[in-house]
Formats: sequence, structure tokens, C-alpha cells
Amino acid sequence: MNKKRMMFIRMIAASLVRRRSRMIIALLSIVVGGTILSGLGMIYYDVPRQMSSQFRSYGANIIITPSKDSFIEDDDLLSGLSFFPQEELEGYTPYRYENTSVHNMPVTLAGIDFDSVQKTSPYWRINGGRPTSDGEALVGAKVAERLGISAGDDISAVNSFEVTDDMDISKIPDYEMYTSPDTGEQFCDHELSLKVTGILQTGGSEEEYIYVSLSDVADLALTDRGYDIVEVSVAATQDRLSSYIETINSNVFNISAKLVKRVTASESTVLTKLQSLVFIVTAVVLVLTMICVATTMTAVIAERRREIGLRKALGAYNSSIVGQFLTEGLVLGAIGGILGSILGYVFAQIVSQNVFGSSIMFRPVLIPITIAASVLVTGIACLIPIKSAVEVDPALVLKGE
Amino acid sequence: MFFRMVRGTFRRQWKKMLMIAVTVALGASIATAMLNVMLGVGDKINAELKAYGSNITVVPQSEAVISKLYEVDDEVRPDYLKEERLNELLTIFWANNITDFAPVTETSVKLDNDDVKLVGSWFDHHLEFVKKGTTYQRDTGIINLRSWWDLKNGEWLDEQAISSGDCCMVGSELAKAKNISAGDEITVKNENNAVTLKVTGIYEAGDDEDNYIYTTLSTVQKLTNTDGLFQKAEVSAITSPDDELAVKAAKNPSLLTGDEYDLWYCTAYVSSICFQIQEAIPEASATAVLKIADSEGKILEKTELLMSLITLMSLIGATLGISNLVTSGVMERSQELALLKAVGAKNGQVTGLVLTETIMTAILGTVGGYFLGYAFAQVIGHTVFSSSIDMNGMVAFIVSVLIVAVTLVGSIPAIRIVLRLRPSEVLHGGH
Repeated sequence: MNKKRMMFIRMIAASLVRRRSRMIIALLSIVVGGTILSGLGMIYYDVPRQMSSQFRSYGANIIITPSKDSFIEDDDLLSGLSFFPQEELEGYTPYRYENTSVHNMPVTLAGIDFDSVQKTSPYWRINGGRPTSDGEALVGAKVAERLGISAGDDISAVNSFEVTDDMDISKIPDYEMYTSPDTGEQFCDHELSLKVTGILQTGGSEEEYIYVSLSDVADLALTDRGYDIVEVSVAATQDRLSSYIETINSNVFNISAKLVKRVTASESTVLTKLQSLVFIVTAVVLVLTMICVATTMTAVIAERRREIGLRKALGAYNSSIVGQFLTEGLVLGAIGGILGSILGYVFAQIVSQNVFGSSIMFRPVLIPITIAASVLVTGIACLIPIKSAVEVDPALVLKGE
Repeated sequence: MFFRMVRGTFRRQWKKMLMIAVTVALGASIATAMLNVMLGVGDKINAELKAYGSNITVVPQSEAVISKLYEVDDEVRPDYLKEERLNELLTIFWANNITDFAPVTETSVKLDNDDVKLVGSWFDHHLEFVKKGTTYQRDTGIINLRSWWDLKNGEWLDEQAISSGDCCMVGSELAKAKNISAGDEITVKNENNAVTLKVTGIYEAGDDEDNYIYTTLSTVQKLTNTDGLFQKAEVSAITSPDDELAVKAAKNPSLLTGDEYDLWYCTAYVSSICFQIQEAIPEASATAVLKIADSEGKILEKTELLMSLITLMSLIGATLGISNLVTSGVMERSQELALLKAVGAKNGQVTGLVLTETIMTAILGTVGGYFLGYAFAQVIGHTVFSSSIDMNGMVAFIVSVLIVAVTLVGSIPAIRIVLRLRPSEVLHGGH
């Protein structure tokens, strides 16, 4: 029994080594099939994740507003944001709005963090420079046109408020007092000088504001309060976003998170199409490749009819011939599957690096799938020609017909 | 004699030749399908991206510019454009790329003593006019530009079906606050006029528009005494992603050289479409909504790159499969070829015979594969985008060149074997 097994292994090994060129051809086609299966499979699984972060260029997909008529405080904001997985949270920008006047015209000032706004509004186009420190401002194109402001100008934003008896205005750094001639009420003008570093172009309503740092807004308004609205950009599907929002709204009471439906609904439409595109393409390519692998294997086996005839003439049973050839095929299938899944990962990685500039997530489950598929396809592809070969009369085959 | 031999091979070895033809056909169909999908995917994805709404807004030129350029007609209000001027959008060079557009006028009205924003627009407006002997027609309106709206109850406002009276749609939050539902009648008024609107439906937009009332443009025109006028227009156009030329042109088209200008003008960049709209409606200013235009460009670029890499990969797979089979097909016939050499055939003749047979098989396979690939491309197009994929004539050419090259390359190892064959050894069976 043991001897028989040894012989079996020796026969298979010898056949694989002696018929090198044919075996390499067969192996190559299996490897190509395996590479396509594991490579495209990995891309298919990763496309939504990778594309999702591309879609973030549409800007924030969640906005957080105060739930009552108050403001968003830092504590509430941070505890709300903690419900988003860190790797999905692309960025968030708090906004604080104050009404002021510039050149005696009413303008709304928005206090933001200029670094984080790059994440939530990547589409902003700035003519000039982005403000880097306090005392610098970014002016929306519509405001700039209306007030005749251009990059490099110095402007001053004025906050006028009525002075009441309980105010200690001596603490205000720059101010000017005047009395209304009609009512006799006392007013105070508090001024903030700003240097315009750039003009903001978006083609949307963002062009109607002047953007300054959060601390400048607090200086001008003379009050330290929370934010009016927070824009959040999260790379996740619409369903996941909805569940995050539900958790936030039921756990943090002072804020209310909302989906920006325009962005999320449209994103899921496009993303679904995109993923089904990759799926169909993968399926079509895979089926065709597997047929290619099968025809190659069939051709490789079919040419060994003489060998089969010789074995039969020497007294081998049909079953042992089938067993040997099938084992050969399965060994090839397994080797091809292993090589294919490694090459597929390399391929998917190259695609991901080139297209998205980030590495692909490795899916271990695709390795056994690839190997199993390769073994199965080679097995079936071998079986058909062997079946017809073993039924042939050895004398006919050996005679060369 | 040569052709008799070729014919003989096809008759006797038709099974083997069929297998080669089938493999070539499969490879050719992968190549055809993938190349067509790759070349067509940009347009398809671009059309899907229209779900994000308009990417161009058209507003009146600012007052100052107008009064400088034209003698302002007192009757025309400088912050409005004439509704009929929107016809011009259908006459520009890239008119076919403009998928939808709608004029919009916003006004503030009183509803039960509360200030509410009332927006007038086209819903399913039918546009038909004749200009220079050509009839233009188009159905367009705001509904296509608000694909993310959900109908809460009632139905969409059907502008063409309104027989009498004015209709409107109400945002979900306003409807909740005021307890309005479909079928109700609401009265809105401003300082001068009042109008009663029949509510056809409640929509949910997920943004500020949930507090608005949307009605037909003519209703708002009546209310605000602005017959035939509108404030701004939203335009949704299929555009090409911006590249260096587009960025340069967006700053100032007049700085381009003649050739650059022609190329820019004849490419569907968002900036060139804006430019053409301004040419057609000089009193208007068209600007790109960067949020939409920029993102579309990025996503298109990524999708196209992704598809081309997948295509490249499947082409490599297909070519390897074909060349493999060609090689093994020739190897198998070593005995027959050795016999030919033994009876005096020269190496060149045997090589010629093998190549002729293989290439003829490959041509048959390619023709079959091209049509199979066409079918696959259409299956992909209809399953994913519910529309057919245009066949690009270039693809047929690329695929045939590719397959012939692959078949020849696949034959090289086989031919080397033929040249090395020693008739006596092979025929004796000592191989």
C-alpha cells in the first residue's frame, strides 16, 4: 500500500517535471485566472470605502445644530463626535456667525478654523492666500464685489451695541462711544481691524460671508459663546450615517445632528451604480477567464491520449488513471490558486495606490475562495478530456490514430 | 497544395482549431466589452452625478456693468432676467450637454402672519420655439434638479395639468408646523397681492428648503408683478473634468492662444459652457457651482482611472490565455509537423503553414468574439445604467490588432519548437 502510494506520488512528480513546458503553460493560465479573481474581488469590496472618501469633496454630509435656542458647546460637540469611528471622520468645522458692518454696510462674519474647513469644504477656491493667523480675513466674492474689497486690503468690522447701565465698557480695548440724537440712548462701536488675505469663490451662498478665525469673532462680539452650526464630513454610507445620527441624537441632548440629504442621497445613488459596475465587470471577466483556463487545461490533457493508451495497455485501471490525472490537475490548481491570490493582492494594491493614493484593505477570505475556485475549475476542466480518453481502445491510440 | 493542406488541417483537426477559435473569441470578447465599457463609463457616471443638482447658476449681470454697456430700459428691473431668454440655452454649441434647467424667483410672503419663503419655478415645463428655421423643444423643470427630494404625501406638481387656479408644494417642516397636508388650500400674500394656492404635495428635502413653499413661476410673477421675468436660473450640464487648459481659461479666456481657445471652446468644460451661456445671453452672468463641478471632475477622473486599470488587467489575462493555447496547440502537433519535415518540407514552409492556420482561426474567433463582447457590453450597460453603451469604432480596430499580435507572439515558442524538431526522433516516438 505504502509502495503504491510512493509510486503514485513519483508518477505525478515526474509528470509535472518532465512535461515542464506544458505544465508551465497550464499553470500560467491558472495563475492569471486566480489573479483576476482575487484582484478584482478585493477591488470590488474596497471600492465603496475608497470612493466614499472621494465623495467627501462634495463637502459636509452631516450638520449639527443646537437642539434648543442656544449654542453648541465644546463638550457636547466632542461627546457627539465621539460616536463616529475615528477612521471614518474626515473632518468637522464649527461655525459661529455674528452680524457686523463693514464700510457701513451690514455683513455677516463667520468664525471658522481655516485648517479644518479644508476638510469639510475642499471645493473652496481662494484667489490670494488662506488666512493663517488671527486678524486675517477671507472675503466671499459677492461681499467683495459689493463692497469693492480686494485681496491685500485692510478692512475693519464694526460691532455696534447699545450700552446699558450694568456694562463696564472700560474693559473693551478699541471702542468709540456716541449718543443717538433721537432717543438719547448710548451706543458703543467696537472695531476689529482685519487684513484681507484672499477672496473666496464657490459659486454658492458661501460667497456672501466674511470668514475670520473663531477667536476674532469672539473678540469682536465681546462674548465667548458656543457655535451656531457644525459641519461634519464622514466617509460612510447613508445607512451607517443614519444610525450614527440616531445614536447621537438619543445620547447627547443639547445638539441635534441632521443628514444633508442632498449630499447623502445622491452619493448613495452614484455609489450603488459604481459598485454594481465593478461587480458586473468582475463577473463577466471572471467567467470568461475561467473558460479560458478550462480550455487550456483541456488542450493540455487531450494531448496525452497516447500516454493514457500506453498505461491502459500495461494494465492500469481506468479509475487509477483518472485518479492520477485529476491529482495532477488539482496540484496545479492549488499552486496556481496560491500564486494567483498573491499576485491579485499585488495587482489590487497597485490599482488602489494609483487611483486612490491609499492602500487596499487585505481580505483574507479571498485566498481560500481563490484557491478553491482554481482547484474546482482545473478539476472540472481535467475531468472532461480524461473521461473521453480512458474510454478509448488502447490499441487504436498507440497505433497513432 | 498549401491550401489543400490548410483545408485538411481544418477538416481533420476541427476540434482543436475550434478550441483555439473559442479561446480567441473569449479573449476578444473580454477586450471588446471592457474597452467599450471603459470608453463609455465617463458619460454614464456623469449622467448619474446629475443627481447632485445644478452645476451652473445664471444670474443677471451686476447693475453697474449693465448700465455701462446698455442703456437700461426702465421697465426691465436690473435684478431680473427675461424668461424667454432662457430659450437661448438650447441654441448654444453644448446645448445637448445641458440636461436640465429651470428659472427661479424667490420672494417673501405672509402665511398666517408668518414670513415664509415662496419659490417660483418651472416644474415640468414644455419649451418649444422656432429660431432660424429650426424647431427646438425640451421638457425641463426643477423636479429633475431636486432628485434628492422625497414626496411625503400627495403628488408632484404637474404644471401642464393645472386647469385652473394656482398650485404649490410645501416643505415638510413648514407643513408640520402649519399642519398642512396635500389637498389643502393656503392663502399667501405680500404688500400688494394675495393668492390662494392648492397644495398638491408635501416634499422632504433635508435642508432649508423644508421651510419653503414651491410654486409655478407664473404664480410668483403674478404675486410680485414681474411678468415674464425671473431672478436666477439653475442649469445642470454634463461636463468634462477640468484640466490645466480649463483652469487657465477660467481665469481669462482672452489670454489663450488661438488653438487653445478653439480646443477649450469645443470641450465641454464647465467654464466653456458658462462662457457660451454668457455669449448667448449677454445680460446674464453664468458661474460654476464649484462644490458640484469640482467633485464631479474628481469622481469621474477616479472612476475612469479605475476602469482603465481593470481593463488593462483583463486584457493581460485575455492575451495570456490566448497565447497559451496557441502555444500548446502547436506543440501538440509536433508529430505531424515532423512528418512534413521528414518528407522534405523546409522550415519556412512549415512555419508558414502553422502561422496561416493559426491566424485564420484567430480571425474567425475575433469576429465571433467581437459580437459576443458587444453583447456583454450591452448587458453591463443595461444592468448597471439601464441604457445601452455606445460602440466605439476604434475598439474593433484595437481588438483586431491586439489579437493578431497576441496570436503571433503566442506562436513564437511553438515555431521555435518546430524549427528544433528532428523528424527521426519525433516519428520514432522518443520525444
